[in-house]
Amino acid sequence: MSLFGSRPNTWIMAGVGALACAVAPLNPVWLDSVILTGILALISLSAGLSFGQAGILSMAQGAFAAIGAYATAVCSTRFGLPAWAGLALAIALPSALAWGLARMVTRMPELAVALATLALATLLEIVARNWDAVTGGYVGIAGIPPVEGFSVGWRFNILVWVFVLLAVLAYENLMRSAHGRALNIVRHDRTRAMADGIAVAPLLSAMLATSGAMAGAGGWLYAHYITYMSPGSLDTHASISALLMAVVGGAGYILGPVLGTFLLNLLGKLLPAQEAQGLFYGGALILILLVAPAGLLGWLQALADRRTARRARATSNAAAPAAPAGPAAQAGREADNPARAAEPAR
Amino acid sequence: MLEYAFRGLLNGTVYALLALPMTLFFTTAATVDFAVGAYALLAAAVATAIPGPVGVLAGLASALAASSVMAVVYVLLKRTSEGGIRVALASFGLSLAIASIVLMVWGTKPFVRQTFMTMLEFGGLRVNPQGLVNVAVSVALVGATWLVLQRTQLGRMMRAAAVNAQGAELAAIPVIGVQCGTLLAGGLLGGTAGLLILHSSGMDFTASLGLTFIGFAAAIIFGIHSPLRCLAGGLAIGVIEALSAGYTSGMVTSMLPSAFMLVVLLSGQLRAGRYSGDRP
Repeated sequence: MSLFGSRPNTWIMAGVGALACAVAPLNPVWLDSVILTGILALISLSAGLSFGQAGILSMAQGAFAAIGAYATAVCSTRFGLPAWAGLALAIALPSALAWGLARMVTRMPELAVALATLALATLLEIVARNWDAVTGGYVGIAGIPPVEGFSVGWRFNILVWVFVLLAVLAYENLMRSAHGRALNIVRHDRTRAMADGIAVAPLLSAMLATSGAMAGAGGWLYAHYITYMSPGSLDTHASISALLMAVVGGAGYILGPVLGTFLLNLLGKLLPAQEAQGLFYGGALILILLVAPAGLLGWLQALADRRTARRARATSNAAAPAAPAGPAAQAGREADNPARAAEPAR
Repeated sequence: MLEYAFRGLLNGTVYALLALPMTLFFTTAATVDFAVGAYALLAAAVATAIPGPVGVLAGLASALAASSVMAVVYVLLKRTSEGGIRVALASFGLSLAIASIVLMVWGTKPFVRQTFMTMLEFGGLRVNPQGLVNVAVSVALVGATWLVLQRTQLGRMMRAAAVNAQGAELAAIPVIGVQCGTLLAGGLLGGTAGLLILHSSGMDFTASLGLTFIGFAAAIIFGIHSPLRCLAGGLAIGVIEALSAGYTSGMVTSMLPSAFMLVVLLSGQLRAGRYSGDRP
């Protein structure tokens, strides 16, 4: 535990990212998949932050990413600004929109929030299709220049994973801060949080704004990697996929969305036909919701907890072999509560 | 003007048919089945593959089968968690899966079938007879649903489950069974809507989410609690859509269902605490 210090998720992410950067350049096809996986992981992390932590089932993450992508595309093709200038805009615009959206939706029940964000995403997509002067309409914007210094595939790959790492670091820091603890209370019981003096609506709005910023950064990477942006690139389906990956991996866990993206995106490459993707994604979502409602990471943690509890029971049995059924039965009861069973004092 | 409005009314009755499952399921289970549009798509796709009345039956059967998958998932989900949002997510998954199956089997070609070659004329209004069939079927189904809800034992059970699920359970009403029945009825209604759309304007494999949207918008525009309001909502959306198609750009027309939904949701329908199980 001391190896990972106080930021275990960030260290794991650093290891995985380093591995991805080291292995992917061996094969151009892998490189492409790994870069796209990284970009999707960033968007999916934003969905995890909004749904898993803030409880806002946002179906507009793809739209936030699209705004980021369009912002940088317009900046660099129309005004010739450098990509990094576009990044500022790509982060600021979606987070401002997300903040405004959150101010309107935080008072609604979660189902209404889901529908409202979905409606907003659809509206934005239609605007992108029809606003020929800015977004290029159906044709889209082509010829977006790559980021200076990162035009080679493997370098861009490193850039992508650095972004993901920064996002995970920010996410983990956030969850360990007072804001993160407040967020946990809000998710648990909103009325209680208000009674504790937490300003719920501003807090949730700030979370959705942060998540919008993450998605916008993902869109920025996407635009400069693909060098082409059209209304179909980051559409409602992208939003749904991002959310679905977060739920499959475990939306309540920091690394859950990354795991979900890895699994679904890389396994999706093995499918016989592109058309089967929806079947695979939809099936995976339903299966996970049925089998492991907390996502894959939640399932793994439950397994680990059970194992710890079993080991604790075994040691307590070994410590008092002569005693009659009393302690063993007590340990068995403790196994129901893994946190207590793991306490060394007993 | 009159022609647009009339055409909108004809379309609107079909939208009411899509809104009906939303209303029924939302009032009995307090969550949303996003797969209604997918049932419609599947029914239309199956009906194009098999000619004649057998195709119609097969379409309905496939929609029913799809909604029974949803019902099974619903029951299993209810065992592990109470949250309605998981049901909504799962129905999203089902919708994706169905659209993907349709794409794999039937490809990207649009589904459309014309039954009537001649147009009827009413004092200057040209009407496709199919439109009248749509109106007849939809109004009959909405009326039948209303009668079932208001006049039968089953309807009383459904309303009881909607008002207070726990209380209904204590009164020996099989709430989960009622909710599953609602899902299946939703499959049939959605399938019927799909068949009617197949015979009038047609659709393609991307239609499922859009149809769900139109249905939901029509269901909430006048309040989500009654099938008759669904009919009114469907008609309103149909008319406004037809008028905007006639007088404004296609952009405005395609934005209408989402815009409606956003406005109605923001104006405080489905208010917090009333349905979400939050503390008051």
